[in-house]
This record gives sequence, C-alpha cells and structure tokens, in this order.
Amino acid sequence: MARKVKTKWGIEGQVKEVEVSIPDADVDPWGMDADLKVVGKRHRRVGGDLVVTGRAKYTFDINLPGMLWGKILRSPYAHAEISSIDLSKAKAMAGVKAVVARIRKGEHVHYAGQDVAAVAAESEEIAAEAARAIEVEYKRLPHCVTCEDSMKDDAPTVVEGDKNVTGGRRPGREEDVEGALKESAATIEATYSTPVQTHSPLESHGVVVRWDSDTSMTCWASTQGTDAVRGQLAQAFKLKRANVRVITDFMGGGFGAKLSPGPFGLVAAEMARETGKPVKIMLDREEEHLATGNRPSSIQKVRAGILADGTLNAWSNEAHGTPGVGGFFGVPSPYIYKFKAVNVKSRSVRTNAGSSCAMRAPGHPEASFATELAVDELCAKAGLDPLEVRRKNDKHAVRQREYEIGAEKIGWKHRPKTGSQTGRVRRGMGLASSRWGTNHVPGSEVQVVAYNDGSLELQSCVQDIGTGTKTVLALIAAEEFGVKPSDIKITIGDTNFPIGPMSGGSVTASSMGPAVRLACAAVKKEVFEQAAGELGAKPEELVCADGRVVVAADPTKSMTWKKAIGLLGGERLTRTGKRFEDYKGFNDEVGGVQFAEVEVDTETGEIRPLKIVAVHDCGRIVNRPGAESQVIGGVIMGLSYGLFEERRMDRQLGMMVNPDFLWYKIAGPMDMPEIEPVLLEMANGKNNVGMYSLGEPPCIPTAGALACAVLNAIGKPVRSLPMTPDRVLEALES
Amino acid sequence: MKPFELVQATSAEEAVKATTEVRDAKLKAAGVDLLDEMKAFVTSPGRVVNLLKIKEMRGIVASKAGTEIGALTTLAEVASHADIAGGYAALAEAAREVATPEVRNMATVGGNLCQRPRCWYYRLPVYTCLKKGGNTCYAIEGDNKYHAVFETGKCPIAHPSNLAPALMVFDARLHIAGSAEEIAVADFFSMKDIKRENVLAHGDVIKKVVLPVTKMTSAYRETREKQSFDWALTSAAVGLELDGKTCKKARVVLGAVAPVPLRRPEVEKLLEGKEVTAALAEEAGAKAAEGATPLSMNKYKVKLIKAVVRRAIVAAAGLKGD
Amino acid sequence: MARSKKDVSRRAFLKGAGAGAAALGAGIAAAAPKGPKVLGRAKTSVNFELNGKKVTVDVEPRVTLLNALRNNLDTTGPKKICDRGTCGGCAVILDGKPVVSCMMLAVDADGATITTVEGIGEPGKLHALQEAFLDADALQCGFCTAGMIVGCKSLLDANKSPKLGDVKAALAGHICRCGTYPRIFEACLKAAEKLR
Repeated sequence: MARKVKTKWGIEGQVKEVEVSIPDADVDPWGMDADLKVVGKRHRRVGGDLVVTGRAKYTFDINLPGMLWGKILRSPYAHAEISSIDLSKAKAMAGVKAVVARIRKGEHVHYAGQDVAAVAAESEEIAAEAARAIEVEYKRLPHCVTCEDSMKDDAPTVVEGDKNVTGGRRPGREEDVEGALKESAATIEATYSTPVQTHSPLESHGVVVRWDSDTSMTCWASTQGTDAVRGQLAQAFKLKRANVRVITDFMGGGFGAKLSPGPFGLVAAEMARETGKPVKIMLDREEEHLATGNRPSSIQKVRAGILADGTLNAWSNEAHGTPGVGGFFGVPSPYIYKFKAVNVKSRSVRTNAGSSCAMRAPGHPEASFATELAVDELCAKAGLDPLEVRRKNDKHAVRQREYEIGAEKIGWKHRPKTGSQTGRVRRGMGLASSRWGTNHVPGSEVQVVAYNDGSLELQSCVQDIGTGTKTVLALIAAEEFGVKPSDIKITIGDTNFPIGPMSGGSVTASSMGPAVRLACAAVKKEVFEQAAGELGAKPEELVCADGRVVVAADPTKSMTWKKAIGLLGGERLTRTGKRFEDYKGFNDEVGGVQFAEVEVDTETGEIRPLKIVAVHDCGRIVNRPGAESQVIGGVIMGLSYGLFEERRMDRQLGMMVNPDFLWYKIAGPMDMPEIEPVLLEMANGKNNVGMYSLGEPPCIPTAGALACAVLNAIGKPVRSLPMTPDRVLEALES
Repeated sequence: MKPFELVQATSAEEAVKATTEVRDAKLKAAGVDLLDEMKAFVTSPGRVVNLLKIKEMRGIVASKAGTEIGALTTLAEVASHADIAGGYAALAEAAREVATPEVRNMATVGGNLCQRPRCWYYRLPVYTCLKKGGNTCYAIEGDNKYHAVFETGKCPIAHPSNLAPALMVFDARLHIAGSAEEIAVADFFSMKDIKRENVLAHGDVIKKVVLPVTKMTSAYRETREKQSFDWALTSAAVGLELDGKTCKKARVVLGAVAPVPLRRPEVEKLLEGKEVTAALAEEAGAKAAEGATPLSMNKYKVKLIKAVVRRAIVAAAGLKGD
Repeated sequence: MARSKKDVSRRAFLKGAGAGAAALGAGIAAAAPKGPKVLGRAKTSVNFELNGKKVTVDVEPRVTLLNALRNNLDTTGPKKICDRGTCGGCAVILDGKPVVSCMMLAVDADGATITTVEGIGEPGKLHALQEAFLDADALQCGFCTAGMIVGCKSLLDANKSPKLGDVKAALAGHICRCGTYPRIFEACLKAAEKLR
C-alpha cells in the first residue's frame, strides 16, 4: 500500500514542495530542507585508521596457517591448439603440492594470457617456478589481435564457431543524415579512436580458499560482489549456497573487473580441496592486464553537421571496437546532445585478446570523447561558442545549472579563440558532459543489531570497494540513532549477513542507504514502544539524540539508549531494512559537466593539464569528502585515459607488449592538474535518503574535455586517445 | 625467479673471480634491473655475485684530477652531491630524472650504465630475439614506438641509461676490474656483439667512474609522455666551453634514440667557434636530428631530438627562455 | 678501443680461475678459506630491525624483501602491486631512505633498520601524517596508501617545509588508481605544517 507525503526536492535555488507517493512501510523521505546533524557533513572514513597504519587486511594480506600459494600458467600464444601438457616435472619439484591442467589436449586457447594449468606450492617463489616447469606444446593457429585484421574478408576465425564481427544496430536512416548534412552550415568527417584500457586495480584479482569440511568452504575474495562469488563457487562445486562463505573486508579497487570468482578462484578452490589446505592465488600485474577484463577499444567514423544557429543537425557514426574474445562493444552515440538526424552503426569485432568486461561507465567515455571533440570541431568551423552550443542542444535542467557553475569557475570568458595562438606553449579550454541513470537495486538488505549494552552494529554482505560504503552506512545509521558514526560498528563484506548489491553500475550507496534507514527505523520503533511508557509520552513523540531517547517536545524527558534497549529484555534486537523501488522523483538522469584548461608544448607535443573543474550531482551527499573524492578520482581516471593509457598489441606475435606499469602508463602525482570538485546540492525525492549514483559518471567527460581544450589551444584536433606527444605532433603537422 | 646461490663479494677482484668461474653467473649491484629480468625469467642465473657489500666502491671523492664516483654510489647521491651539481650539472640533472625517488635511493651508477635494454621484446621470456641469441628482431616489424631512430638496422633498442650521455659529455673514464683496467666511456658502449650493449667481458666489474676536471657548463634535458615515473622518449646532454658567449668546445650526446648513447660531432662542429644564441641552438637541434632513420612508429622522436638538443644548449649556455 | 690489458691476459686469467669454479660449483663447499661468503640456494637467516624490533627471518636468497616482510613476518602494510618498482606500493624506509622493497633481496637488508607503515603509527596512536590523511580523505580503496604514507614520511623527515611541487616529486614513483593524489598532497602539506 502506498501513502502520500510531502517533501521538498530540486537543486539549490530551485527547490519546490511536492507530494510523493511512497510505500506504506517506508520512512518519510529526507527532503531538501531536512535538518541533518551527521549526513552531508565532513567525516573521516570508517576503517581509515586501519588503512593508514597498514593494519587493514585485504584479501592479498590473508595468510592462513598451512596455506599454499597458487600460480597459473598462461598461454603465451594468441591462438593455439594444445598438443600436449606434461605436469610431471612440476609435480616432482620439492614443495609443490598440486598441479592441475585447465585445458585438455586438442582444445584451443584463444588469447595470450588464457589459463592453461595451475600449481599450488609451499611458497610464492616455488609456485612461480613450478608453473614454468609445466611443459606445454602448442600448435599455433592464425590469430587476429587488431580490428583491422579481424575484419578482413579472409580473416582467420578468432573463436571457432563464432563470427568475428557482429552487430550493426541502425536506429536511424543514412538518407536523413545525408539531407541534414547538406543543410548544415558546417560539417566534418573524421575518425575518432580510443584505446583498450585495462582496469588496473592496485589490488590484483585473487582469492584465498579454505575448505572447512567436505561440503563447505570459506573464500576471502577481492571482489565487487560477495554474493555473486558465493553463488558461482556453490554452483561450480555443487555446494549449498549456505555452505559457502565469502569475505571481503578491505578491497583494493575493481572498477568493474571483479564481479565473479574468475577462473583463478575456481582453480584455487579445486587445489585447496585436492590438498586439504587453504590456497591463495593473487594474480600478478601481467596477468591482471592480460586476463581480467578491459574497456573495449573504439574506432568511430563520424560525419556531423551543425546549423548556423548552433543547432546540432546531423550525426552519423559508423563505429566498431574490440572486446577481445568475449564481452561486447557498444557506444551510446551521439552522447548527451540531441542531433536532429542520427544514424549509428555499431559492430563488435572479436580479436584474440583478453575479454573485455564492464569498466567504469562502459561505453560512455568512448562515446563522450568522439561526440565532444566532433562538436567542438563543428563549433570551430562554424565560429560558434562550444558552451553555448552545448547549452542549446542539451535540455537537461540540472546540467544547465552545471554549465553555468563550471563556466564561472574555469573562467570560460577568458577562453582564447581556437587556433589564434602562435607561441611555443599554448593554452586552451574545453568542456564535456556526462549522464548516468539513477541506478539502484531494490531488495538490498542490511541489518542493525542493537545490543543490550547499548552498542550498535550494521551487518550486510555488501562490500566496500574503496568508494566509502562503510562510511555511508555508518553516517546514515548515526543520523538515525543520534550517535557518533564511530559508535556504530560496520561489519560488511561477509555473506553470513543479509544480501546487498553487487557494486556495479554505481548502485551501492544508493541501494544500501535507504535500507539502513529502514533497519534503524524498525529497531527504533520497538525501542520507542518500550521507552514511551517510562517517559510518559507516545512512541511517535520520541526521537534519538546525543545517545539518548528523547521526548521531542520536552528534551528534559529522556533516557540513555542503553537503558532504552535494556527495556526490551534479551541480549540484542536485530532488525532488517530492505530497499524499496525508487518512487517517482525529480530527476531520472544523473548529470555532470567538466571544464578543462590545458597547456600544450608544440615543440614536444606534451600536454599539461592545468585545471579541471568537475561539477556533478549525486542527489543527497552523505559523506561530503567521500563524494568529492569520488569525483576527483573519476577525473583522474578519465585524465589518465585521455593522456596516457593504452594496451599495445603486437600484431604478429599476438600479444600485449606492455602488461606492466612501466609501459602501460597510468597518471601519477606529477601529472596532476588542480582539480576542483563541485557537488551540486540536491534532493531527488526518489527514495528516503534522496541519493543516487556517483561512482561512474565523473570518469566520463574528462578525456573529451581535455581533447576539446587541446583543440582550442593548437587549433588542430587530436582524434586518437591517448593524446601522447607523437599524436599531438602529428596533429600539429596536419 | 629460479633459485640461485649468492656470493657475497668483498672486493671487485673477488667478484670477477666468482663470476668468471661459472658460466651462468651474473653480477648484481642493487639488483633493480637484474631482479626485474629474473622475475620475468628472462635470465635465470645459477649464481648471483653480489657487489653491494663492497664498501670501497661507494661514494664520491673530489681530487685535483677531477671527481671519482664509486660504481655503487646511488643515483640519489649523484643527483644531490654539491660537486656534481656544481661542476657536472648535466650528470646531476640526468640522475635526477631516472625512474623514481625510491629507485634512485637503490640504483647505482654502475647498474645504470650496465642495465639491459627496456625493449619489450627483449623482456618477453617466450621469444628469443636477436639480442638473446635468436635470429629475429621483433621490434623492426613490430611495435617500435619507443625504439631507436638511429642505427636501426639490426637491433634498434633505445639505450636506457640516463647517465651515459652525460658521462660522455665529460669524457669520463671507467675503472674496471677484470679484462681491462680502464675504458673511456666513449669506447664503453658498443653493440658490436649484438647480445651486449658494452665492451665488458663476462665478469668484468666497473669499480668507479672518473670525471676529469672540466671547464664546460652543461645541461641535460629529456622529454617523456608522463611527468611522473617514465622513460625518456629522447634525451640530450650538452656541454659547452664558453669564452664569453663564444663556444670554444662543445659536446652533444643523445640518449634513448640509438642502441648506444649517440655523440653528434656534426652538431658540436656547428657550435664551436660561434656565439651561442637561441637561433644557433635551434639550428643545432635541427642538425642533431639529421640522418635519423626512424622505424614505422617512432618518427615523432626525430622532432623531439630537435627540442631536447635546443633546450639543453639553451640551458647549458645560460640563455634566457626555455 | 682503450682497453689497457691485452686479451691474452684475460684468457690467462680465466684459465687460472678454473679450479675455483669446480670447488664453488659444489655449493656449500664454497666456504673455502679466505673466499667470499657464499649463500647456497637454501634458506639463510637474515637479521634486521623492523619497526623498532630486532627480527630474524629464514629465507632463500631469491626472496625479495617485500615477500619476506609480507609472507614471513606478516607485515602486510607494504603492498605488492606491480612487483617491479614502478608503483611505490611496497615502499619502506630502509636506513633512513625510502626504497621499493620488491626490487631488493631480503638478504641485502641484513643489518638494516626498516620502517614500514606499521611502524609510523598505530590505531589510537596515529602519526600526524596519518591523521592528516584521514582528515583530507586521502584514501579510497587504500591499497596505495601505505606506500604513500611512507613516501610522505620520508619527505617530511628530510624537508620540514615542503612545497606542493616537492610533494609531487617525492611521490613521483607512486601510483594510485582511485585518484587520491590531490588529497594526499593536501594531507602531506597539512601534516608538515602541524609537525613544524
């Protein structure tokens, strides 16, 4: 049953009171004007003291008594048939406890880096050495590791039984685009390309698996989905889900690549069962680059046109990219802006390279880069202001405000005319936008345990992948109970507790936050019912404040929380909160706008980003520094994508030549511009906290904004990412 | 990596002996490069001869004849030593740009000169390239974005040492234990034997580097993709002996563009006897890039040579501008 | 070529070394009188001071300092991220200077004094730098944090009044994938202020 409540929603300066229909059992939503003591303020990260002192235990840090180290042997070849596998030499080595083949004679490997066999040994060193002692004979088969090779008519088949090229979506008609191009004041025809980017979480993929009996196991996993790992392990080993426990306390980043136990998890469990000892497999950096997922490349052949009044008139994009042996390529193109006539063709091209998987805002940065730079090329040709053109062709109310804020902060009015500079070092500005859904997972659960000594604990299987989930949960509960966040113990990342969402799609905080309020409310309801009599008030007149249960209208009447919970009798009270569906709210699309200022050295082709202003909205902000950090971090990942990162494949050998941090280049401290995160205040009225997604959007527009700034500085577009000196110099010569 | 025995040498001579008596022995200073190769199973010596405990191979000593740098002196010490920064600026600057602060606290002068190529094909254990005794260079037909643009015919590695070009500017001499006593740094780097990058025989130990007294002012410049830890795309060390504004003697050496550090006598000739101006520096930069034979993916490096040479000259001459 | 010895003498030298090779090749027999100390492939004792305590660890010569710390001494603050000296995750302070523990052998740390992030402070007794990291929210997933704190601590030990550029340069060998750099700079500068 639903009930109607009044709440205030909107963005700062544009707040209105509205009536929303919410589930009967939900608590009243916190409106824009909610008087919150804890939520929205600046707090330290929960568990941060363990991290900064090196005490936090990540999966990589779990060392169990008697534990063995696992190591996987991987194919050095992109496509080959296994002629033979001989495990005997590895098995004979001192300290080696298990050696298993992962593939049989006659089967094929489809990329360099595919697992072939695995060992478990008494030390990390022995395991690494033993894996190399496994003798494998390969019969090499023809491969394709580039789109160009894979798309040829006579190309070898990448994966037997599958087509190399799939897709061909056509939402529009090319004839319409042709017509629109003809009536445009300025047109461009250009090819934009983006590289394969690897997730490169600093904690590599890995597990520690311990069988607790013949039918039960515990798995410490560096994962974005404890429950997903549990389900897949249970299925693989025919165990009851109840008998598989997955633990992820601290976790060193995933960015989309850690949503399953992976082949390494399954083989670790297999070897743990075989040896009767716990087995730890943590991948090394090379394996991480080769075999754990990536963002597909894209090559986008664009034709676009703009009218003299700034109306974006025509967009044709013939796009393809490679997701490797698996996964899927696609781009939401054109991105953000409305073009009158659109035709997009998209093809996914299989290659003999590690499979892609979701990576922070899949498809968006690729689409954004091509769209934003193409729009700016049109603006430069038509003599139009890129900011005005965006404002004209983007109807999103929140982003409209974000354009204003960002333009002011970067000093857009000082932007030079594109191509007007002649000095050795030239400056430029650009902007780009992002969008995201208000994603959430209904049914996400958390439980609150109120102990009779007054202590409080929050429990869920949901994991904190570094985004600050523990902190978000603690702050919302602290708000509800009127206590300090540090008074609440956060025990999450353990499948013994209620099921939370997998951390993908920027859903974690916004799925869990409203559930926390519900769990707290359920506990408070029972406590208030008991305390009301003692305090001479009705239960609904009570509130929690400063560690006490207080009569709202008469604060002199109160009792400690410890006493109140004691009135219930028993050791503890446990109540669960479960996330409802979002209700109809104010804003269905998360917005974001970034402005970049750069300096380009035309002699060396070096790009120095000077400043990035990132204006983003995320509904209600729970922990302000944490939300800002998400934005800063997204910008940096986007900057790194725009300027440095690129998986380089050797066509003939069929392998990645830079699977390390020496040549796979990730932005470091010296490459940092000034970054100013701006969080647009708002309450979205869609759930009882008023929060939505923030994890992915900030990494989307950065590369595009930088590319537009480079165009502004040097008057030439750099149409391939990353914008390394070779490409900048080439653009300057064009 | 594979297991090995570790010989704790207490003198260079002892190290030479312990290395030469075993075919699969390798010398190790800090080990920053050797461990990298061993972890990747590119090399798996049965014996590692450890130089790190040889105290007399450490430290920087100034004398009338010049400055002596023990081969085990760390790059951080070279970068921050007042005598080096004062008299041999290009060397201090080159040392400062190597790798990372942590690595510079470990990595040694000797190791920097003797480190193996960073060619990614060389570092692949599965393929035996020309340099590893095979028949094929994979870089020439492959991904050669970061490879050499001079002397690219056979094995176009880009020599990875930052110190080498600077030491060549100063005519440094290397004191050796083993098959020779002393080698001029100019004669040290060689790919005559394609499997090696210098003339040292198996087991030879560089004991120290001797920098003669110099009247040159100098500078080192490099370009990179990242400003944080990254390898130089191109580098140039320049030394100028100036009489007023006129260049009496010049030394121009390029790094990261050829299989060995590359001295450019034509550029030196262009500079000598002339007044050093921004325009001359520009001309010298262009001259330095002449004769390059870039590979399929690294033509951009030729342009970068112009930039680094020009900048190093401007800096060495103390001209205004960049 | 400026070789000052003839190749002849080199060959003679090698010939003379032949007998020693056989002796050393036998491994343990290498403890011949006056010869250098030889550590066989098996485990050997390494002693150093770790976070103020004298420790002994038995490891093979091939074990890196990082592996010895993490796998033998359960000192898991230093992280293994790239294992090639390019990310700074494993940084420790060795005899007063920051080094990457993945690129040195544990046996080379014999006799050294080592401080890991664990030795800089502990929960309840945080170092000003660690406090500043928390206040600035200079951590996300936290996997790079230990190395970053070691890098900042080393900087502040050497330079009481660093500028932004000094902090960036000191951390140039560290990678953070979540993108916490600006907040680490802020934390380091704030801590420096507090420590002065």
